[in-house]
Amino acid sequence: MSQEPSATTPSRGARAAVFAQLTGAGRSEQVAQRLTDAILLGVLAPGDRLPSEAELAKRFGVALVTARDALGAVREAGLVETRRGREGGSFVLATEQAPERLLQARLRGLSQVEIADLAVYFGTLAAGCAERAAELASTDEAERLTAWLHDADFSAASDSGRNAGGFYLEIAVVSQSPRLVREQIRLQAEFGPMLWLCLTDPAMRARVYAQNQRTAEAIAAHDAAAARASVRAQISDLSAWLLAAKEHLEQGAAADG
Amino acid sequence: MAENHSADSVQARARNCAAAIGALFNGVFGTLDHWRSRVEASTAWDAGEVDPAVYAMVGPELTAADPLLIGAGFIAAPGVVRGKGLHFAWWLGPLEDNPILGTTTEPSQLDLASREYADYLRDLSALEWYRVPEATGARHITGPYVDHLCTCDYILTLTAPVVVGGSMAGVVGADVLVRRLERDALPLLRAVGAPTALVSAAGRVIVSTDPQLPVGTLATADAGPAWSGAIACPGTNLKVLLRTAQ
Repeated sequence: MSQEPSATTPSRGARAAVFAQLTGAGRSEQVAQRLTDAILLGVLAPGDRLPSEAELAKRFGVALVTARDALGAVREAGLVETRRGREGGSFVLATEQAPERLLQARLRGLSQVEIADLAVYFGTLAAGCAERAAELASTDEAERLTAWLHDADFSAASDSGRNAGGFYLEIAVVSQSPRLVREQIRLQAEFGPMLWLCLTDPAMRARVYAQNQRTAEAIAAHDAAAARASVRAQISDLSAWLLAAKEHLEQGAAADG
Repeated sequence: MAENHSADSVQARARNCAAAIGALFNGVFGTLDHWRSRVEASTAWDAGEVDPAVYAMVGPELTAADPLLIGAGFIAAPGVVRGKGLHFAWWLGPLEDNPILGTTTEPSQLDLASREYADYLRDLSALEWYRVPEATGARHITGPYVDHLCTCDYILTLTAPVVVGGSMAGVVGADVLVRRLERDALPLLRAVGAPTALVSAAGRVIVSTDPQLPVGTLATADAGPAWSGAIACPGTNLKVLLRTAQ
C-alpha cells in the first residue's frame, strides 16, 4: 500500500477501513472475511499488493500467526498469490468468476436474521447520528454537508458506495460525538460493502441520493425528526433490497435444484 | 453596592481567565511560529528530506511527559514536496485504542492509505484547518470537531500558513485533544466563580462549568440573555462566556 493515495484506482473507497482493528473471537476468520469481501467488492483491485503479514497484523491488531493464517486462507481461495523476492508480496488476482457471483455467495452466507439485525443496528446508529447532527449543526457545518453532497457522484456503483458511506460518516462528525464516529468507522469497515450492495442497481442509486438530500435538508433546518425519518426510510430500503436479493437467489437455486 | 462590587470582580476574574486561556494557546502558536520559520528556511523539498526534518521538530512535543499536543506536523501545498500532491508530514502522538492504529507507544506518521474510508473527502485542502490560513494568511483555530482522519477524537486544530518565495507552501499545525485541554482550562474557568464556558468562534462549547451548556453544544445568541457578553481570549478566536443572572 503506497503512502500517497492514488487518484486513479477505482472503487478504493473504504479500502483501509478494510484493515481497521478487530475485536472478538475467530480473528483469523474475520481477517480472511474482511480481505475476501474487499477483493470481491473491488475495494482491493487485481494487481494490488496487500500489506505484509507484519503490517496486516499491526493494522488489524492481531498476532502475526493470525495474519499469516488469514492470508493463507485467502490464498487457498484463489483470491491472492504470494510472490517471493525483492518485488514480492501478496497480490490480488483477477477472479475469473464475476464479482456478482462471489457477492451472492456472501449473501447466502448470512441468514435473514443476521441481515435484518445488521440493518436495525446500522439504522439505529445512523438515525441517532442524524438526529443529533440536526440538533447541533452550525450553519457552516450544515452548508458544508449540503455542498459536499451536491458534488458527490452517485452515478456509478463504486463511487456511490464510497459516497453513501462517507455521507453517514460526515453526519456522525456533525453529531460532535467521537464514539458515534468510531462506531460508524467500525461498522462500515465490517459491513459497508454488504450495505451498499443495492447501489449496483441504478434505481437504488437515484433513490439513495434523493433520500440523502432530504436528510441533509432536514439537518440544515434543525429538524431532528425529519432527519431521523429520512435515514430510517433509507435503511429500510437497504434491508428490503438485501433480503429480496437473497430470497431471489435462493429461490432461483431451489428451482434449479 | 456590595453586589456591584461582586459583579465587577466576577467580570475581572473572567477577563483574567480569558487572558490565561489566550496565553495557553499563544504558547502553542509560538511553537508553530518556530516550526514555520524552520520550514520556510528549508532548501530540501524531497519527501525523504522533509519528513525526517519535520519529525525532528515535532517529535519532542509529542513525546514530552503529559504532552498538550496529540498530533503535529507540516502539510505541504500540492507540488511543494517534489512529486507529491498535498503532502502530510504529520505525526500522531502515542494513542490509546485508536480505531485504525490501536494502542501505540511511539509517534506514528499519518498514513492516508490507512484512512481511505475518508477518501470521499475529495479535496483535503478545502478543509477549514487548511483553507482558512490559506485564504487569510493568518493563524487559525479549527474546532472543536471530531477528527476522523487522525485521532478519531474530539479536538482543536491550530494551524499557521507557511509562505515560501511569496506563495503558499502549506500549513504547520498541531492538534489538541479537548479532554487534555479540559484539564488545563477547567481550573481557570472555575476560578471565575460563576458559570462560565469556553467557546469557539462559532459558539461551540469546548469546556464549561455550566452543566446546562455541555461540551459540543452551540451557545448561540438565542441561548438567552442569561449570557452576559463574551470576552475574547487574546490572540485567538475563542471566547469566554459568563453567566451572570440565574
